[in-house]
Amino acid sequence: MQLVSRGDPRAFEAVYDRHCGAAFSLAYRMCGARALAEDVSQEAFLSIWRSGARYDPTRGSVRTWVLGIVHHRAIDALRRHTVHDRRRASDEGIEERFEAPERTDVEAARRDEAATIRGVLGALPGDQRRVIELAYFGGFTHAEIAEMIDSPIGTVKGRMRLGLQKLRGSLAAEGAAP
Amino acid sequence: MSDHRRWEDDLAVYALGALDPGEQAQVERHLATCAECRAALADLRVATDALPRSAPPVPAPAALKRRIMSVVESEAELLRAAGARADQPAETPAPGAPARRRWLGGLRPLPVLAAAASLVLLAGVAGYVLRGAQDTGPRERAAVVRVPGAKATLQVRDDHGTLVVRDLPDPPPGRVYQVWLQRDGQDPRATRALFSVRSGAVEVPGSLRDVDQVLVSAEPPSGSVAPTRAPIIAAQTA
Repeated sequence: MQLVSRGDPRAFEAVYDRHCGAAFSLAYRMCGARALAEDVSQEAFLSIWRSGARYDPTRGSVRTWVLGIVHHRAIDALRRHTVHDRRRASDEGIEERFEAPERTDVEAARRDEAATIRGVLGALPGDQRRVIELAYFGGFTHAEIAEMIDSPIGTVKGRMRLGLQKLRGSLAAEGAAP
Repeated sequence: MSDHRRWEDDLAVYALGALDPGEQAQVERHLATCAECRAALADLRVATDALPRSAPPVPAPAALKRRIMSVVESEAELLRAAGARADQPAETPAPGAPARRRWLGGLRPLPVLAAAASLVLLAGVAGYVLRGAQDTGPRERAAVVRVPGAKATLQVRDDHGTLVVRDLPDPPPGRVYQVWLQRDGQDPRATRALFSVRSGAVEVPGSLRDVDQVLVSAEPPSGSVAPTRAPIIAAQTA
């Protein structure tokens, strides 16, 4: 499916306007610094524009797809940075910083949804939540995490599986599954 | 089932993007053959797809949109200028097809000199020279440049043009910049003007009398007969 007609800036702009908030929020959550988050967001949206924005609807919503691209770009950026920077960002990111002023219903709904998912995530056992956050938001591999928290790799993998399975169940119960 | 058990943990790590590349390839090979694991992964994706949406909302800066749209608009302009197929690879020539050879018939692969200096003269290319960027011509046309921070102008004297570039990035590895001439509604015509300087002046070969725009794209060192990459510079001649 061609989401953005080849070379049509207005079609691209519509996609940008709709998803830039969620995209930048994710980039900021992962990078923990505005300048890097802006670079990551810019790279992600320009890759969407340059690739002709091929989107496969069988793989999820447009938003999930855009956020997947932002996530990959952020991981690339994080892996170019020091472990210290990455760890600090993944530690601090769970707190609400620079909360967006509530301007529209859409933003209010997005904020509520984010709070709900954070609530579900926060209800996981701490050791499971920690490895999930380090992997997803910190961009660490399972081996790096094992070393960081001084646990065997098998333990780390098991916590990731258990945590994701619980998260899925809780999201379904909350009605917050994508 | 035993296979599934063995892969269960790895699927979770995979869904989080936390495997190393070798393990990731291994999981992907397995997924291609195991419907049970594909279904298990789809279940885990429900959780991982929710993770990005947990990020506390932070408004995207207005300046970010301005920067992105400025690149998008200039690239859209280049695409319009170069035609719809400009960023498509050139067709592979059929064996023995002479027509494609004719454009650059005598052109051999060119040695690209060290690019440490800001100005590089490519050996073996007749008919154009690179000069210092301080040259000015009687009529100057601003060019659209796809690369942020880089600038280009086309200076036209009588029917001859000089392209002045500033702060271009180095061409991608194994490529040089090639100049193209285009008349509206027609495919770009190859020229022998190949360069790898970041800043300097490139004389455009031939007359601009029947040319509406001058384009530049990154091409293999021997030049191409049709652009294989989208142009990074487009300058109108009038």
